[in-house]
Amino acid sequence: MTTETASTPARDLESMDDIIIAENVDKWFGDFQALDDISMRIKEHEIVVVLGPSGSGKSTFIRCLNRLEEHDAGRIVIDGIEMNDDVRNLNAIRSEVGMVFQQFNLFPHLSVMNNITLGPRKVRRMPKLDADALAMQLLERVGIPEQADKYPAQLSGGQQQRVAIARALAMQPKIMLFDEPTSALDPEMIKEVLDVMQELARSGMTMIVVTHEMGFAREVADRLIFFDEGSLVEEGTPQHFFENPQEERTKLFLSQIL
Amino acid sequence: MVDMPAQNPQRIVLPPHRERARRPRIVRFREWARRNLFNSRAGTLLTIITAAILALLIYGVVYFVFVDANWRVITENRWLLFAGGYPMDQEWRLWFSVMFVFLLIGLTYGTWASLGRRDHLFIVLASGFAVLLLAHGGAAIWSTIWYLIAVGLLYAGYAITIRMPREAGPGRTVQQRSVAGLLIAALPIVLIVLLAFGGARPRELEGFVLNLVLAPVGIAGGLILAIPLALGRASRMRAISWTCTTYIEVVRGAPLLGWLFVALFILDDVIGGELIVRAMVVLAVFTAAYMAEYIRGALQALPHGQSEAAHAVGLNQFQSMQLIVMPQALRISIPPMVGQAISIWKDTTLVTVILPLRELKGNADSAIAQFEFTPDRIEAYVFVAVIFWVVAFIMSRISQRVEGSLGIGER
Ligand SMILES: Nc1ncnc2c1ncn2[C@@H]1O[C@H](COP(=O)(O)OP(=O)(O)O)[C@@H](O)[C@H]1O
Ligand SMILES: [Mg+2]
Repeated sequence: MTTETASTPARDLESMDDIIIAENVDKWFGDFQALDDISMRIKEHEIVVVLGPSGSGKSTFIRCLNRLEEHDAGRIVIDGIEMNDDVRNLNAIRSEVGMVFQQFNLFPHLSVMNNITLGPRKVRRMPKLDADALAMQLLERVGIPEQADKYPAQLSGGQQQRVAIARALAMQPKIMLFDEPTSALDPEMIKEVLDVMQELARSGMTMIVVTHEMGFAREVADRLIFFDEGSLVEEGTPQHFFENPQEERTKLFLSQIL
Repeated sequence: MVDMPAQNPQRIVLPPHRERARRPRIVRFREWARRNLFNSRAGTLLTIITAAILALLIYGVVYFVFVDANWRVITENRWLLFAGGYPMDQEWRLWFSVMFVFLLIGLTYGTWASLGRRDHLFIVLASGFAVLLLAHGGAAIWSTIWYLIAVGLLYAGYAITIRMPREAGPGRTVQQRSVAGLLIAALPIVLIVLLAFGGARPRELEGFVLNLVLAPVGIAGGLILAIPLALGRASRMRAISWTCTTYIEVVRGAPLLGWLFVALFILDDVIGGELIVRAMVVLAVFTAAYMAEYIRGALQALPHGQSEAAHAVGLNQFQSMQLIVMPQALRISIPPMVGQAISIWKDTTLVTVILPLRELKGNADSAIAQFEFTPDRIEAYVFVAVIFWVVAFIMSRISQRVEGSLGIGER
C-alpha cells in the first residue's frame, strides 16, 4: 500500500510512559458480553493496529477509550486521568483523544471550515481568527486547503475522511483513535487517507487504528493486537504476526484476510 | 497527493431532448400534443371530454366572476372584512406592518432563494387582484399607493440581497444572521406596531388582520413549545418522557374545535379574560403537539454518528444538541411543519365558531347578514376562500424555495 519499505525501527518506546492503561475491562450489551477482561498498556507515540473479525469488539473497545461506550468493569486511565463518572475527567479525556469514524460523521450542515473550527471554538474558547488559521494549517496538512468553504456533501469520500482527520486534530489531541477509517472508501481513495495517517504516525502521534489494511499494519504499526469474540487473543510486533503467529484463531483470521 | 478533479457545476451535458427543443415552437408543440394528448383513440376521446369539461368550468367561473357576481358585497365591506373593529384612524399601523412583512419576504427570497418567472407572475397577478380590490371608492387611492409601495419594498429588499455573494464567508454570515434575526423579531415587531403606543386594543383585532395575527402566533408558539416536548419525549428519564407523551397524545386526541371550547369555557379561570390570548394559547398548544412529533421523527432519522462525532470533538450534551442535532432535525422536519402551519392557518377560521372573535370568515358572515347583501353569500365565501388560498400558496411556495436552497448541506 504505502511506498516506504521499512517501518520506523529504532523507535525507543521503552522509555516512554504508558499513556493508555486498560485493566480487566468488561463491556456488556444487555446479556451479551462484547468485551471480556481486556487489559493493555499503550505507550506515548506508539502506533497500535487492532485486528479481528467483524463483531469481535474492536469498535467497542476503542469507543470505551473516549467513552462513547461506558465500560462495565475494570479500569481505564488515559494520560493519568481516570475514566469515571466525573464529568471533568471525561471532558479532559475527550479533549485529549481524537476520533475518526468509518462513516466520517462530518457535520453536513456546516462548511468544512466550520466542521474543523467548531471544537476549538466551543470547547477551547479559541478566538475565531485563531481557529480559522489553525483549520487552514490542518487542511494544508491533509492536502485539501482549497476545499475550506465547501460542504461535506460536495467532497469525495477520501476528502471527507481527510477533513474528519483535520477536525479531530484541531483539538490538538495526544491520542488519535481510528475506527476502520478506510472501510467506507472506494479503493482509489484509500491511499490518500493512509498517506495522511502515515504522516501523522511519523510526527509522533499516539495512534490506535482498527483496520483491515495489512500493508499499513505491517509498515506503520509498532504493535498489532488481535481481538476475537470480545477477548484479546494475541499481540505482538508486525513481524511476529506475519511470520509466526501463535494462536490458531489468529492464523485462521490472517489466512482469510491475507 | 492527487485530488479528485473538482466537479464543475457549469458544464452540463444537454440530454438529447434538449437538443430537440431547439426546433421551432410550433413543431415542438405539435409533437408534444401528439404524444401526450392524442396518442391513441381512447386517449383522444379522453382529451376531448376533459377539454369540454374544462371549457364549461372556465366559462362558468368567468361568467360568475365578470357577469353574474355582485362584488359590491366585498368592495363595500372592505374595511369590515380586512380590519373589522380596528380603529380607522390607526390605519397606518396596518400598512406599516404590510410593508415590513413584504420587505422581509423580499429579503428572505434574496438571501436563500431566487424569484423565478412563476413567482413574478404570481406577484403581478396577486397585486392586480389587490389593486382591483383597493382602488375603489373612498380613500382608496391612498390604500393603493401604500400597497404598491409595499410591493416596491419587496422587490427592493430582493434586489439588494440577491446581489450579495452567496459563498460562505464573513459577509454571508452577517447577512444570513441579520435576515434570520429580522424573521424571528418580525412577529413581536408587528404586534407592537399594531397594538402598542396608542394602537388598537387586542379585542379590536378583527377580520383578516386577526387571522394574520393568530396563525403566526400559533405557529411560532407551537414551534417554541415543540422543541422541548420532542426532546422530552425522547428523554431517557421516564417521568419526563411520560409527561411529554401524555401531553402530545392528549392534545392530538381531540379536534382543535374542542380545545377552542376549552379555551372559551375553562381557560378563563386559568389565564384570564382576554379572548384573543386564550385563542392564541390554544393554537400554540395544539400546534406544538403535532410539531413535536415531526421533530421527534427527525431526531430518530438523524444518524447516531452525528452526536457521537460531536462528543468526540469535546462538545457536551447541550452543545451537541444545540449546534449539531437540532439544526439538522429542524431542517429535516421543515416539510411536515409547513404542512402543519398551512393547516393551522386555515383553522384560524374555527375561532369564529365559538369565540366572539371575528376573523375574516366571521366578518364575511356579518357582511352578508346586512339586508342589502343577503343574496351575495356565494360571492363573500368565494372571496374568503381565495384569500385563504393565496396566503397558503405563498407559504408553501416560500418554504419550497427555502428548502431547495438549504438542500446544499444535505448528505
Ligand atoms: N449498541 C450496541 N448494542 C448491542 N450490541 C452491540 C452494540 N454495539 C455493538 N454490539 C455488539 O457487540 C459486538 C461487538 O461489536 P463491535 O465492537 O462493533 O465489533 P467490531 O468493531 O469488531 O466489528 C457485536 O456482536 C455487536 O453486535
Ligand atoms: Mg467496528
